[in-house]
Amino acid sequence: MCGTNIAKIVDVEAVAKFVSDLPNVVLAKTYKYMCSNPGQEMITQDIKENKLNRVVVAACSPNMHERTFRNALRSAGLNQYLFEMANIREQCSWVHTDPGEATEKAKTLVYAAICRVELHEELESMSVDMCPNVLIIGGGIAGMTAALEIADAGNNVYLVEKNNHLGGNLARIDLTAPYLYSARDLLTEKITRTSNNKKIHLYLQSKVTEVTGFIGNFKATINSLNGTSSDKSKSINVEIGNVVVCTGYKEFDASRIVHYGYGKLPNVITSFELEKMIRTGRIETKEGKIPKYVAIIHCVGSRSQEFHTYCSRVCCMTALKYAHEIKSANPESYISDIYIDMHAFGKGHEDFYRRSSEAKTLFLMYEKGDRPVIHKAAPKDDCEMLIEVNEKLSGEVIEIPADLVILMVGMEAREDSREVARIVNISQDKEGWFIESHPKLEPVATTTDGIFIAGTCVAPKDIPDTVAQARAAAARILARIAKEKIEVDALYSEVNENLCSGCRLCNTLCPYSAIEFLEDKKVSHIISALCKGCGVCVASCPSTAIKGRHFTDQQVLAQIDGLFGVI
Amino acid sequence: MSIRVNPMFIDDLVRYGAEDVQLCYQCGDCSTVCPHADEVYKFPRKSMRLLQMGLEQKLETTLEPWLCYYCGQCSEQCPREADPGETMMSLRRWLISRYDFTGIARQFFRSRTTEIIAILITAVLTGTFLLIYGFSGGNINVYDGEGAFLPSPFIHKFDLSVGAILVVFLVINAIRMWYLVMIKGTPFDVPWWIYIKQFYQLPWHFFTQKRYAECEKKREHAVYMPWIIHLGLMLGYVTMLILVMVYIEQLQAGPEIRWQVHIFGYLATIGLSIGTIYFIRSRFKKHYIQYKKSHGTDWVFVVLLFIIVVTGIAQHIFHRTGLPEMANTTYVVHLMSVVPWLLRMPFSKWAHLIYRPLAMYFAAIRRDALVRQFSIINSNPLVVK
Repeated sequence: MCGTNIAKIVDVEAVAKFVSDLPNVVLAKTYKYMCSNPGQEMITQDIKENKLNRVVVAACSPNMHERTFRNALRSAGLNQYLFEMANIREQCSWVHTDPGEATEKAKTLVYAAICRVELHEELESMSVDMCPNVLIIGGGIAGMTAALEIADAGNNVYLVEKNNHLGGNLARIDLTAPYLYSARDLLTEKITRTSNNKKIHLYLQSKVTEVTGFIGNFKATINSLNGTSSDKSKSINVEIGNVVVCTGYKEFDASRIVHYGYGKLPNVITSFELEKMIRTGRIETKEGKIPKYVAIIHCVGSRSQEFHTYCSRVCCMTALKYAHEIKSANPESYISDIYIDMHAFGKGHEDFYRRSSEAKTLFLMYEKGDRPVIHKAAPKDDCEMLIEVNEKLSGEVIEIPADLVILMVGMEAREDSREVARIVNISQDKEGWFIESHPKLEPVATTTDGIFIAGTCVAPKDIPDTVAQARAAAARILARIAKEKIEVDALYSEVNENLCSGCRLCNTLCPYSAIEFLEDKKVSHIISALCKGCGVCVASCPSTAIKGRHFTDQQVLAQIDGLFGVI
Repeated sequence: MSIRVNPMFIDDLVRYGAEDVQLCYQCGDCSTVCPHADEVYKFPRKSMRLLQMGLEQKLETTLEPWLCYYCGQCSEQCPREADPGETMMSLRRWLISRYDFTGIARQFFRSRTTEIIAILITAVLTGTFLLIYGFSGGNINVYDGEGAFLPSPFIHKFDLSVGAILVVFLVINAIRMWYLVMIKGTPFDVPWWIYIKQFYQLPWHFFTQKRYAECEKKREHAVYMPWIIHLGLMLGYVTMLILVMVYIEQLQAGPEIRWQVHIFGYLATIGLSIGTIYFIRSRFKKHYIQYKKSHGTDWVFVVLLFIIVVTGIAQHIFHRTGLPEMANTTYVVHLMSVVPWLLRMPFSKWAHLIYRPLAMYFAAIRRDALVRQFSIINSNPLVVK
């Protein structure tokens, strides 16, 4: 029933009654929350008492709770694959408004599931060895955090960094918002520990050029960027069980927005250029003067239809940090903060925003889709530039005086992210960020088992979130290493070698590179640990030599028959 | 046309009392709770915004600060403690200094010392003048009639001269206010007949201060006391002013009491005394939000008023009880406080006596003219909306 989620539209009692009259059905029950502990116990109990040998649950999506119910079967001593779910929530109650029709559809879906489950076979998951070595791509705060976590647990880590130093983008920053901790302090300790850790094998100025194999048994090639690519001696092969990708971000190129005059007006600078100034200890214009009026423009490249639609998350607080740093360095300066919305979502952020207000930072809001325009000021003005903007809260078109303009450039996926994605076989979204296996429930896993992602290569995020993800990935890997073996889902495809003609059509189609060609037998072979059971090869095989386990032709056809059989 | 932002303005307004305006993040709670804000006159939010951005040219033409009577509900509601009520008060002070052509108001608001020195100088000059006059032709032991120390025809002329100076200042400033508000700040036609149609607003608001009472219309537990006291105090001033300017001879005669004149004097004195004591007490106790913050000029006002009331009552009693010497002395002290108090009026918050009813009048005119403008635009398809 899922509370009222299903029961408010679908007459679940009617469905149960209909099902209980069907052949081969021993028992049909409804329960308020079948996925709850009492619900699962009920299933286990019923299996034992009635000696059931197949179970169908009509509830939500199998994505949500198939695993839950399979476990219930297992605890009753029944093979977990003798189970099928009928989705009467997402496919019925949530999408239909007519209770009568929805109930009829629910009946059909359950009937189809019953037809299918009759043909289910007992399958056994297989288990493979887990190599305890880990490859980490990227030596920023995320990479170092994950590396230390894994190495401190006694495992070998290969940490590969493209640059000649560790620290990534964080090394380009002076203070961090909102608590104004020094980024250098955060990094120094990590860099020292990473460099000194015997278990961490550091490859600076290097890059991973190839990753093959599958979870627990990957092989990677690390190439040094120092020599030429033909220099074979600089190429190292390592064996690893898991990979963490934390390749970070690059900043948006501000010269792409013509209105801001970046690259033309000398005192329009990016946030990273200001960081450099702050670290040298003097915030000044190109002419060497202390700027009286400083303007900070938010969302440069972010939250716009033309460039990136997403929010880069860290710029709002970084802008407030600059307001603070500039005001402390030059108390006589006036700071205008020109923003679309103030995103102060994190711990301590709202307080930081308030403190900036108290310090008389002038906050000026403009409409998303609108954009400030920077002009050179006339000689009679007491400032170098004037920024024209339609100020939203007052409804006035205003000019803001500025001697120094700071563009809060957003985060972008790195230009080589596509190459990295290809090497480790993970996917990217339209903006180039790596895609998680589930955005909410699996934030650091990817669709390729054994490849994890953490930090700003997934999406823009701040340091605490990056560190949390790195530690999450490390924890996931350590848990697997501790088990020594890994169970691989039984849902893989198999080639009937007697039927295979060796056409190799499936080899190129497989999205997981799971099919190899056995030259000696001239047949294709599916590496079961790599196979995800997607069924592309099954559908493509002209000789019908490939069988998708748990998705056999008979099972699928029985389900389809079930869908059309009733009514 | 874009207007230049002035980030320094907010620092300047601190001297007028707006200390927390930078905290405002424009949620608009203040305007929602305000019983007077509407679609045409959006405040305090909009006024706070103009202040934050330092748009002086916009601000000096606005009427909104005058439409606020400082009930304090906005400051109670403000989630950022940005004190919109006090900000509106500060804007009124700033507007007074803007209307004032002499620049004196600006000096007084920005420096309490300057104000006190100016008051002391005026008081001493007044005192010296009165003493020289008194001793040259009169006898300190005679209060009225033949050989009086300060004969009432002379005081009458003296009062009228002070009154004339006062009127000159106020009229010039009021014209400046009209120019800023109705010419510079009203970008559409205002036909003359609207001025006549809405003229009743002036006496109506002057004598009833109805809007002050309306401040309470949204509040759960309405507090009408400040309005009643304020009205009593104001009627007290006006009565006293008329008595002093017109009926001074009858007022001064004695020692018998002339009820047809003196009854008004007594009533006015009651109004003034209760008002003065109430406001001094409130500024000390700070029960209501509008009395939590007192600008330097606020204290100067109530203290001077207190001296005026006490010496006024004292000289009246001394005269009636046959103590002419004492009566004359307290009278000199009385006038030494009255003259600076009156002359200070155009340069202080108490100019609101004139500006507020004028603002109500202008606001009504502007609203009428705006409605007319809209109806012209709506009825003429050729005008681009």
